[in-house]
Amino acid sequence: MTGRPGSHEPLIEAHGVSVAYMMAHDRAGTFKEFTFQLLRRQIRTERFFAVKDVSFEVRRGETLALIGPNGAGKTTLMKVIARVLPPTEGRVIVRGLVAPMIALGAGFNHELNAIENIVLFGTLMGRDPEEMRERAQAIGEWAELTQFMDVPIRSYSSGMLARLGFAVAADVDPDVMVVDEVLSVGDESFQRKSFDRMQELMSGGTAVLLVSHVLPKVEEMADRVMWLDKGSVRMTGDPVEVIAAYRASVG
Amino acid sequence: MTTGFPVYDSAQVRTPLLTEARNIWSYRGLIRLLVSRELTTRYKRSVLGVWWTLLNPLLTTGIMWLVFGVVIGNRFGETTEPYVVYLLAGVIMMTFFGQGFLATGAAITNSSAILSKVYVPAEVFAVSTAIAGAVNFLISFGALAVVQLWAGVGIPWTIVLSPLSILAMLGLVAGLGLTLASLAVYFYDILDFSRVLVQLVYYMTPVFWTLEILPERFHIFMRLNPLFSHLELFRDLTYRGTLGEPWMWATVFGSAVGFLVLGVWLFGKSWRTLVSQL
Repeated sequence: MTGRPGSHEPLIEAHGVSVAYMMAHDRAGTFKEFTFQLLRRQIRTERFFAVKDVSFEVRRGETLALIGPNGAGKTTLMKVIARVLPPTEGRVIVRGLVAPMIALGAGFNHELNAIENIVLFGTLMGRDPEEMRERAQAIGEWAELTQFMDVPIRSYSSGMLARLGFAVAADVDPDVMVVDEVLSVGDESFQRKSFDRMQELMSGGTAVLLVSHVLPKVEEMADRVMWLDKGSVRMTGDPVEVIAAYRASVG
Repeated sequence: MTTGFPVYDSAQVRTPLLTEARNIWSYRGLIRLLVSRELTTRYKRSVLGVWWTLLNPLLTTGIMWLVFGVVIGNRFGETTEPYVVYLLAGVIMMTFFGQGFLATGAAITNSSAILSKVYVPAEVFAVSTAIAGAVNFLISFGALAVVQLWAGVGIPWTIVLSPLSILAMLGLVAGLGLTLASLAVYFYDILDFSRVLVQLVYYMTPVFWTLEILPERFHIFMRLNPLFSHLELFRDLTYRGTLGEPWMWATVFGSAVGFLVLGVWLFGKSWRTLVSQL
């Protein structure tokens, strides 16, 4: 065991990353279509690049924010760093424990109760089921759901679900955080609580990759900002400068 | 290189079979959870709950026994063994095969909500579903033992070997399921195709009919159907008290290993496309 990574190398490295999706209208969706296209020798694999040749590094204690209009490739890039999507070209290296704050509660099962879901969701994120079982009560308490721990979560309100999702995802000590606009969970007091927790996690020396449309918040939180447009990098650097340039272009 | 922390390197090359085996081992805790989730939530809202696992094959067998055993009579072959036992053994094996194969094939696409947001090796979902099918099978296997006692067949010593036959079926289900999941990436209607295929195979395999009704010259074709060997070997070990022919063992394990390798190989080829289309 050499302890924690990132004393020398960056925690996130992206080298010339491109991500291509197959165009829907060129994809042989069914076996029947495929056979017809094969007969007519029309199998084409035309690809659409959602992210084109993007490189960056994030070091321990640093926060990099991605900004840009819808369809700029922010979420796709985020998924590549979170390991959900393999890059089509280029290379990604992520060192250490990753906390993906992308889809809070993506693995929830509505027939199971809160405790079972905490264990399931935590295990999906790569944690030990036994450890999650021990943590379950504390997580439920943090989410302010102590009285509702043993009812199936299908009877939960959407706010309760979001709180539970955040509580599980935030119950970590990560090296790398990938955050996709999850700063607005629950009512005002819970929002403040979750924002504080997020700040606490970020200040603990994590490398953070953040996607947000709330530019003032980005300016406040990020050390560097990367502006993406149609999959390519338009500008990288100081938050104030990049955001100003982006604002000017949007008008 | 041994480090105390995980490192994800997208340039790391996948070694077919080895990568999957390693993924499945390191996610065994999750697999255990997913299997128990699948078993308990399936019937969570029903009154009888998990008893349906037991009731389903018994009811199917009951209907078939009524139709083929009582109404039509012995036209499907003379058996020296009780027809009910013959039927139930066939039905539970074919249910394991058919449901397991289809569910495993759809498992990865069904988990897209999770797989597109949290990193989990996709094969974990396919394997969990196949194992859940095996557990369901074991429950009905218990029912078969009870029926055997009730029908006066008894429980021969060879039953201790039937786990081998069950394990081989699990291999076949997982292998064919992964093959289906990989092909479904390119042609989504293959899932509908295979539903029909499973039905066809059901009739082409002696589940409710016996080999005797088939003219001698067609018997050779049964050797080409691996499910024939899977079913007959299982029946031999579980209640006939015989050890099966060597060629059956060869077919049973040959098909399990063969399709497992094919499925994992195809999955390794298509996983990249698969996860990017979820």
